Amino acid sequence: MSRILEETDRLKALGWCGERVARDPVNQPMINNWVEAMGDTHPAYREGLAPPAMVQVWTMRGLHPAPQPDDPLHAMSAVLDEAGFTSVVATNCEQTYHRALKVGELLTVRSRLSDVVGPKKTSLGVGWFVTTESTWFSGEEPVATMLFRILKYQPRPQAAAASPITPVVSRDTAFFWEGTAAGQLRIQRCEACGRLRHPPGPMCPACGATSMGFVVSEGAGTVYSYVVHHHPPVPGKRLPFVVALVELPEGVRVLGEFLGESVEIGRPVRCTFVRVGGFHLPAWEAAA
Amino acid sequence: MRFEQSQVLPEQIFQVTRADLVRYAGASGDFNPIHWSERFATSVGLPGVIAHGMFTMALAGQAVAVWAGTGDAIVDFGVRFTRPVPVPDTDEGTDISFTAVVKAADADFATLELTAVCRGEKVLAQARAKVKQF
Repeated sequence: MSRILEETDRLKALGWCGERVARDPVNQPMINNWVEAMGDTHPAYREGLAPPAMVQVWTMRGLHPAPQPDDPLHAMSAVLDEAGFTSVVATNCEQTYHRALKVGELLTVRSRLSDVVGPKKTSLGVGWFVTTESTWFSGEEPVATMLFRILKYQPRPQAAAASPITPVVSRDTAFFWEGTAAGQLRIQRCEACGRLRHPPGPMCPACGATSMGFVVSEGAGTVYSYVVHHHPPVPGKRLPFVVALVELPEGVRVLGEFLGESVEIGRPVRCTFVRVGGFHLPAWEAAA
Repeated sequence: MRFEQSQVLPEQIFQVTRADLVRYAGASGDFNPIHWSERFATSVGLPGVIAHGMFTMALAGQAVAVWAGTGDAIVDFGVRFTRPVPVPDTDEGTDISFTAVVKAADADFATLELTAVCRGEKVLAQARAKVKQF
């Protein structure tokens, strides 16, 4: 951050940078291209008058701009890029046109850094507002000025790229996750009375015994209920997604993401396993 | 036309498609990939490919030129880009609607305050154009 402030002070102190000459003079083919993009059919633009809003276009630097260490916007952008504020959107533009431009005029532009404000929290992410002023000249005559403000921001990590939430493994659930890793859907069974239960726990709710084993489910069932999750965001998940509660013929219900297109209660599904952060999570897909 | 104080100017609607953005990128020399690459735009937190701010501003300028009846009436023009203008990859793209009210007018100049709306939301703020009276 101190580097950003230092560079701000240095560039502001430099004031107006040296002039940069437009690649081409104001010309009819570029005007034709621009008004075509705008869908603008004003007849004067066919006859050598340049649309005022094109003024910045004449001194744009093309697809592969050469480095310009003394250009304040370029220099400031480079420092902010280095600090991780790599993305850019325009936030303000004010232009003043002193007179209309005609085909044949060769423009030059001079710019200065007027302000750098940040770091600010914005809806796009944390960033810095960089304001520059530019004046265009035709020969010695100033023809237009512009105040231009951009936001250089650090893109927020995307939900889909964040680390996903993984299960917590306990003594009671270890057998279940060992099962999914082996491609088995294991259901806890009380060794004393034989009752099945899911999710697993330390003690049988029927007889109170604490000696637990398991059976391996066939992995086929029907959707008993489901929710479509739209909000809030879940790390590692793309929204919306469907969570289905599936009833197994063994007599228990098991939660898992439904991976198909259309979910409905009663739909036959079968179990599959999805690898997430070192785990194999049970999930459901429509049975053929 | 001669603008009069408090005059309300008729709405103008512009359709914007991906092809317009591609054309504008080339014509303006602004090749920021947020204006043509869905992959890049979403990776930096945008809702998708968005219109160039200067494109939206120039459309507003075009609306002003139509209201004024001449292409060289604008003297001063300023906007704040408050919301991005997402342009979906469809034949229709999106629409931007421009309206304006004449805030001040004298013998020489008029000041228009513009409203730009895309999908029900204002995409420009403090959009003011000072124009010569003819």
